[in-house]
Amino acid sequence: MFLRMIRGAFSRQIKKMLMIALTIALGASLATAMLNVMLDVGDKVNQELKTYGANIIVVPKSTSVLNNLYEVEDGSATAGSYLKESELGKIKTIFWAFNIVDYAPFIEAQVTLPDGSGAVMTGSWFNHHMELPTGETLDTGIQNLRTWWDITAGDWINEQRDASENEIMVGEALAKRLGITAGDTLALSSGHADKTLSVVGVFSAGGDEDEEIFAPLGIAQEFAGAEGFCSSIEVSALTTPDNELAEKAARLGPGSLSVSQYETWYCTAYVSSICFQIQEVITDSVASPVRQVAESEGSILEKTELLMVLITILSLIGSALGITNLVTASVMERSNEIGLLKAIGATDGRISALILSEIMITGIVGAVIGYFAGIGFAQIIGRTVFQSSIEMKLLVIPVVAVLVLAVTLAGSIPAIRMLLRLRPAEVLHGR
Amino acid sequence: MSLLELNNISKIYGDLKALDNVSLKVDTGEWVAIMGPSGSGKSTLMNIIGCMDKPTSGEVILDGKDIAKESAKNLTAIRRDKIGLIFQQFHLVNYLTAVENVMVSQYYHSIPDEKEALEALARVGLAERARHLPSQLSGGEQQRVCIARALINYPEIVLADEPTGNLDEANENIVLDIFKQLHREGTTLIVVTHDPEVGEVAQRTITLEHGKILRDAKNPGFE
Repeated sequence: MFLRMIRGAFSRQIKKMLMIALTIALGASLATAMLNVMLDVGDKVNQELKTYGANIIVVPKSTSVLNNLYEVEDGSATAGSYLKESELGKIKTIFWAFNIVDYAPFIEAQVTLPDGSGAVMTGSWFNHHMELPTGETLDTGIQNLRTWWDITAGDWINEQRDASENEIMVGEALAKRLGITAGDTLALSSGHADKTLSVVGVFSAGGDEDEEIFAPLGIAQEFAGAEGFCSSIEVSALTTPDNELAEKAARLGPGSLSVSQYETWYCTAYVSSICFQIQEVITDSVASPVRQVAESEGSILEKTELLMVLITILSLIGSALGITNLVTASVMERSNEIGLLKAIGATDGRISALILSEIMITGIVGAVIGYFAGIGFAQIIGRTVFQSSIEMKLLVIPVVAVLVLAVTLAGSIPAIRMLLRLRPAEVLHGR
Repeated sequence: MSLLELNNISKIYGDLKALDNVSLKVDTGEWVAIMGPSGSGKSTLMNIIGCMDKPTSGEVILDGKDIAKESAKNLTAIRRDKIGLIFQQFHLVNYLTAVENVMVSQYYHSIPDEKEALEALARVGLAERARHLPSQLSGGEQQRVCIARALINYPEIVLADEPTGNLDEANENIVLDIFKQLHREGTTLIVVTHDPEVGEVAQRTITLEHGKILRDAKNPGFE
C-alpha cells in the first residue's frame, strides 16, 4: 500500500517531483564538480605555477652560510664553492622524485668580450637528456624553467645536436650593445679558456639576464675553470601547501619532530621535506624554497579551494531553498489529502515518512542526474581553466550522497513542520 | 450504558461560542440526525464527536472513557479504531483507485486486504467500479466509496457530515438505503445534515441553533 501511494503521488505530481529532482540535481552537480576539481586542483594549480619557474634552489653549503651571514645576492659569493655535476641525476631518485618536474644546474663565469668589457656567462642545461639510475629518461633544462623568455632572434640551444657544444644564447640588451644577432659569432675569453662561439639565439628575459650570455654547462665550466661542477641547481617541484607540521619542520628543523611526525612530514610533498631529501643526495648542499613562489603556490591553492568550498556551500543552500519552496508548495497543494489521511487514522510519523520517502526518492534521482552532470561540469572546468581533464575521485560519491541527503532533509523541514501542524478538521471542514 | 455521552460541551473560538453547554447521549445501534442551519454548530459538534477537535470545556465519553482531554496522538488512535468518517466532499485520494482508497483506511488501521476492500465496495454496489479512479466516478459513486472506506474497519460509530449534500435525488436515495441497511445491521450512525428529508429518515433528530440543542426528538415516521 505504501508503495502504491508513493507511485500514485509520483504519477499525480510528476512535474513538481521533476522540478524537485532538477533542483537537487543542480546542487549535486555543482557539489560534484567543485569537489572533484578541488581534490584535483592542487596538482593542476601546481602544474600551472611551475610555468613561473623553479620553487627550490640548491647551493653549496659554504655559499649558503655566506649568503646567510652577509645577505648577499645569488652568484656574488659562489666563487670557489661548487656542487658536483655527477650527482645531479640523484635528484630524481629521492622519495618524491615523481614530483620533481624540472631542474637545471647553473654555473657562472666572468668572460671578456671582444670590446674588452666584461660579461657574465651562465652555463646550464637547455634541453638536457638524462638516463636516470631508475632506468627512466628525462629531458630537462632552462627551456622548461624559463618559459617566460622571449626568443627575439634565432632559437633555443638544442643540446641534442653535437654542434651545441660551441653555441651560446645572448641576452637582448647585450646583443644590442655588441651589435650581434643569431647566426653571428662571438669571441670570448677568461683566465681558463679562449673560444669563438656561435650565437644561435637572442632572448629577452625582462631582467638582469638580458645582459648575460647563456651557454651549455660544459662551455661555462671551461670558462670558469670548474669542469664537473656547478654553483647552484634550480628545481621545479610539485608541492603540498605547508601546514603547521611543515612550518615547524622548516622553522626548527626535522630533528624537532617526533618519529610519527617525521614520517608524516617526510612522506608528504611539503617543499621543506623535498628540500631535505635533495640535501640528502647532493653532497654538501643546502636546498631551500624560493619563498615567494612556494608561498604564492600555497596561497593561491588555499584561495582556490576556499572559493570552491564557498561555491559548493552556496549552491547547496540554493538547492535547499528551492527544495523548501517546492516541497512546501507540494504539501500545501496536498493539504486535503494529508488532512484526510490524518482523519482516517494516519499518525504524523507515518505521513512524514510518506512525504519524506517521496522526497528522498526524488532526491536520489536528482543526485544521480546531478552526479553525472557534475562529472561533465568538472571536465568542462578542467579543460577550460587547466587545459586538462579532471580525475574523478570515488571519495566524492559518498560525500555528495551525504550532502544531498542533508540538503534534502534540511529543505524539507519547513514542509514537514507545516504538515505536523495541519489539523484534519481545518482542512476538511475549514475550521 | 450509552456508546457516546456529551456532558456540558462548549466550544469557543475567540468571541464566538460555536457550542454552548451541549449535552446528549447516543446509544449503540442508534441512528441520530443532527440538524440545524448554517452556523448552528453542527460541524463543530461533528469534529468533537469525530475526535478531530477538542471541546473548550465539558466531557466527551466514548465507550465509557472521557476523551475530551486526550492528546492529539491518542485522538488519532481513537479515530482510527472507533470512528468511520463520511464527508460531504467525499475526500478521496485522487491518484488511488476506488479499492485502493478503501485499502488506505485498512493500511493505517491494520493490514490492507484487497479482498475485504472489494467486498466492502460490493456492499455499496460498486464492485464493477473498484479499479476506477475518483475522477472516473460520479458524485454518488464517490460517496459510496467514501462509505465503504468508513465501514472497512468495523467502527463503533459512523459519522457522516452532509453525506447527501452534493448528490442528486437518485444518489441521495441510494446513500440513505445504505444507511438503513447499516442501521438494520446494528451500526451506530450519526448524520449531520441540514436536509429535512435526510433528518426525517433517522431514528432521532437533534436540532441545533446558535450552538445549543433546540430540540431532541424521536422521529415518529421512523421505520
